[in-house]
Amino acid sequence: MSAIDDLNAELAKLPGIGRKTATRLTYHLLKQPKPTVERLASTLRTLAEKVHPCQKCGNMSESVLCPFCVDPRRDDTSFCVVEESSDIDAIEKAGEFRGRYHVLGGRLSPLDGIGPEDLAIDALKHRVEQVDATVEVIVATNPSMEGEATATYLSGVLKTTGALVTRIALGLPVGGDLQYADAVTIGQAMAARRKMPE
Amino acid sequence: MRLDALTIRNFRNIISLDCEIPPEGVVIIGENGQGKTSLLEAIFYLALFRSLRGSRDRELVSFGSDGFFVAGEVGQRIQAGYEISGQRKKVSIDGDPITRLGDAVGRFTAVPLAPADRELITDGPGARRRFLDVLLSLGDKQYLRRLSELKAVLKQRNAALRMGRKDEAAAFDGPFATAAEYIVRVRRQWADDWQTRYAEINTALGEAGTSSMEYSPRREEPETQETIRSELAITIERDLAGTTTGFGPHRHDLRILREGRDLRRYGSGGQQRTAAIALRLLEAEALTERTGDRPVTMYDDIFTELDAKRQGYLLDMMKDWDNTQVIVTAPRESEVPREMFDRPRWSINGGKIEA
Repeated sequence: MSAIDDLNAELAKLPGIGRKTATRLTYHLLKQPKPTVERLASTLRTLAEKVHPCQKCGNMSESVLCPFCVDPRRDDTSFCVVEESSDIDAIEKAGEFRGRYHVLGGRLSPLDGIGPEDLAIDALKHRVEQVDATVEVIVATNPSMEGEATATYLSGVLKTTGALVTRIALGLPVGGDLQYADAVTIGQAMAARRKMPE
Repeated sequence: MRLDALTIRNFRNIISLDCEIPPEGVVIIGENGQGKTSLLEAIFYLALFRSLRGSRDRELVSFGSDGFFVAGEVGQRIQAGYEISGQRKKVSIDGDPITRLGDAVGRFTAVPLAPADRELITDGPGARRRFLDVLLSLGDKQYLRRLSELKAVLKQRNAALRMGRKDEAAAFDGPFATAAEYIVRVRRQWADDWQTRYAEINTALGEAGTSSMEYSPRREEPETQETIRSELAITIERDLAGTTTGFGPHRHDLRILREGRDLRRYGSGGQQRTAAIALRLLEAEALTERTGDRPVTMYDDIFTELDAKRQGYLLDMMKDWDNTQVIVTAPRESEVPREMFDRPRWSINGGKIEA
């Protein structure tokens, strides 16, 4: 195997990248000035060496605890549970949530052999139990079938902790056009309608 | 609904075929094994993008080929292709690739009648569920989506059951109930709405006595997501023992009755054939109502099996259909009813058509 073949094979393992794109990327890199390629290489090395899951919440972080876990201004009685670290970015952008995060590292999928023991569920329960006040756990797993099942499972597990378990709402996207929304989403939005404030 | 032109490559025993189809339809004569059924199946593929009788896509590929292709002009151009390597299916409408197959299902509608339809009556409940599912999917996108959700949920739930994990299996009860509630409601509603018409068609086809159909299990109260969930909770121990989900729409049936008795067990061959034809005609009418357009109707060699009296009744009913494209196949000239003589006549031989 040549160096070119090696890189092709590595790139092709990435999600969304097939053999063709991998080859294109490899030859693109070969055409770049050497420092550019070396910067990419060292960035990748740093990523692999420095970034680890936060010991508390599982969020990807360069320190033992992630910035959200050490921030003293965040609310300790409110947890937001997500499937992946990348979901935290999306929620943070919205700026609505000021509590603590918890990353499960996936979702229940018996077909793929992913059970509760493969997700950070015990750790979540433990964290909730540590708090000396009433806790709200907002389950923000994806609105997919597996995400829903994971949410249901979590609410069962957390029952003994006395925490208030809530699920993020499903419905129409803001600024969207009702006529282009799909029927299932409209159905959900109808079911989850709320009373207008007086 | 009208199919103006058809292109087929490597589909079952048709290697290459291009033809224009007259607006009123056509009568196709050919011995068995010459490609009559393949032609009709290829047409139907443009409606559902699945085989008519539930075969896998790879089984539809001609022997020795690596894929098939079907295209039809139906006011818009619908194309469907499948490659064995990579098991890839590509569908496009007017050149635009369709990423979610459900968006293309039902753009074109066709109803096939064939001798094998008798299995609708004689086979187990699965055959009749499939009948309902195909019909309702063609007319209702949300139905198709809920149906694939239900299948996916069942796989997950059953996988958890096989591993003996009760809580994980139960976690899927919510998504299961959401999909199941919708599917059962739509199926029951359909059976109720078309019950009377089903009886009328049977009478028109010359069946004396009462013919009826009913969704099974019958329920006095409509099922809600809550009742489905509580039923799943009650039956989960049994599910764990049997490692499969025993309750839900995937176990239901559309019962076909004559004089209140199950036609599957108590019917004669002739009665079962008539009931199957009635179901197909009902399908055509229901699709017409849902889509506002009469589906292309295809008779695959069904006149051979009917006695003269029943043939006559069926042909009488067809007289009422204006603007319906009817495609008829028969093994020999002598099997073509006189009433069809005015239609264009083709012959098919070794997968090739001669006009």
